[in-house]
Amino acid sequence: MNDAPLHPVTWIAWLVAVCAVLSATRNPFHLGLALLCVSMVASARGLRRGVVPVALSITLAAAFFNLIIARVGATVLWRVPGTLPLLSGPLTLESLVYGLLTGLALAGIFTAFGAAQGAVPTRALLDLLPPAFAPLAVTLTIAVAFVPATLRHLRQVREAQLIRGHQIRGLRDWAALLIPLLIGGLDRALQLAESLAARGFPDRAGSQRAPAILIAVGLALLAGGLLVNAWQAGLIGWLLIGIGIGLVGAAVWLAGRHTPRTRYRRPRWTSADTLVTLGVLLAGAAFVFPFPLLDAAALRFSPYPQLFLPAFHPLLGILTLGLAGPGVVLLITSAET
Amino acid sequence: MLAPMVMSVASVRPLTPDSYVGRVVMIGWRDLLRNRRIVSIIIYILASVIGLWAFVAPFITPGLAQSGELQAGGPLAPLLLTGLVGLCYLALLYEAHGPVAGATTIALLGILVSINAALRFAETVIPGPGGFTPMFLLIILTGYVFGARIGFLMGALSLMVSALVTGGVGPWLPFQMWAAGWVGMSARLLRPLVRLLRAERSRTEVVLLACFAAVWGFVYGGLLNIWFWPYVIGDAATGWTPGLGLYEGLSRYAAFYALTSLSWDAFAAVGNAVLMALFAVPVLQALRRFRARLNFSYTATPIPAVPIESTS
Repeated sequence: MNDAPLHPVTWIAWLVAVCAVLSATRNPFHLGLALLCVSMVASARGLRRGVVPVALSITLAAAFFNLIIARVGATVLWRVPGTLPLLSGPLTLESLVYGLLTGLALAGIFTAFGAAQGAVPTRALLDLLPPAFAPLAVTLTIAVAFVPATLRHLRQVREAQLIRGHQIRGLRDWAALLIPLLIGGLDRALQLAESLAARGFPDRAGSQRAPAILIAVGLALLAGGLLVNAWQAGLIGWLLIGIGIGLVGAAVWLAGRHTPRTRYRRPRWTSADTLVTLGVLLAGAAFVFPFPLLDAAALRFSPYPQLFLPAFHPLLGILTLGLAGPGVVLLITSAET
Repeated sequence: MLAPMVMSVASVRPLTPDSYVGRVVMIGWRDLLRNRRIVSIIIYILASVIGLWAFVAPFITPGLAQSGELQAGGPLAPLLLTGLVGLCYLALLYEAHGPVAGATTIALLGILVSINAALRFAETVIPGPGGFTPMFLLIILTGYVFGARIGFLMGALSLMVSALVTGGVGPWLPFQMWAAGWVGMSARLLRPLVRLLRAERSRTEVVLLACFAAVWGFVYGGLLNIWFWPYVIGDAATGWTPGLGLYEGLSRYAAFYALTSLSWDAFAAVGNAVLMALFAVPVLQALRRFRARLNFSYTATPIPAVPIESTS
């Protein structure tokens, strides 16, 4: 049981769909709609105040850089005089618009990750690691759990050095903080290793051969598929890539088959999760795969060489609204409580 | 490891022209797959090559570029590349963490990663100039002292945990983890050079480490930009367009890098070198001392029984 309104897998599906949608289109209407959905979710998560300045700076920076770098487009705003390499030349409205749109897409991705990261606790994320990576999950858990302790240790070292009259004036003075922090940490690692060993964690571990062979074969097929596709994209290439990915996945499953796992407070999958996941996956798929009913050309908007007003596709617009699913669930849950 | 394999092949089948080649290939592959170390090396090479391919795809993929699926702003480009890097990263992570997954190594990695994440957290609160970050000091020195596997894990996990702590999770994270893993893994390559120059525990060793760190300051930024470059920029003299040749692509990227990132990465490179010059000696001392404690093992040797002589 857990109190979170949505399952971690639902949030991951939402993130993948948001990334797919925002990467797929530069059409300002569809991009704007997707961004509205993302901001609604972020706002339902209570992230409005912290996210706005960062999103704004990402958008403006992308617009500025594209304006400076991309010197194509018919509508010249200003011409940088002189013969300075890479700087002189026309600054165009088209490059400014393209930069703004790209910046907005990046800001949307950033906001989505911020919203999802707050909603899914780190423990739940680590729990999603496949069982084959159990030792790695232990390492990550230790690392995440010890960050506050390390910061506390850093403060203690600093106070101890202040009492001794040590002041930080330059970079060299940081040695008095860094080295005790490192040595203290390493000593703590030894104690931790002893407690792990005392609880039955093996001190030496071997790795299985069969999954490793599967991974090697899978990667070889993947490399072959990429090579074939680089020469001539086609069915054989994609088939090799698919089999390669499947073999790597099978190896990970095989390696973790006998790893026992105990879960406390298992997240619960509800009907809201099913609905939201379906909605967001449909939205993502509509933007990535060229379905016959959907006009994929409307998504591939480019303001070059001359800016024009692109078309809005109503069906795609309706499907995009699926991205607002987590926000709707969060609002309903908060209204109920 | 390869020599016994070749010998066994020769002993199984003497030189007979009709079936020798097929026999050699068959037994060679079987022996190859039996040898865990060789399988491991194959995984490292393949995963690194595919990962590198994902980074440099814009320069070398005329087929995909013309199909329209991998062009800038195309729907599949960033997602495919992120997925590809993520998959190779998973494979490499499995291979790297398996043999080192003992209690002591896990504790060591966990604590070192938490120290690095704390340093990045401090850097987020008090940002340094440009791309300066203190993270690479520990990643490089850990890889240098403890070897390629732990170096790779240190780099990759440091980026992951610090992203979790500072809220920096995003589609760029697999690329960052991959590149930081390479930083830690490649640090091991310095050891033969240092041995060759007989420079262990000398000033030359610190100079080599500082140069290595400075080079990675530029390379890390340059690698990460490649992910970003075809995705953001439209048609331009410094932008990526489908069907670019290798030379044209590299020269356009060099112009883009010089304009947008060189000064930023210069702070990272100089910062890395200065940190290495100032702190490499004490940090190396601490890590080497810990490595000696880590490798300490005790084997009980039975003492031969001595007959007790009668005093009477």
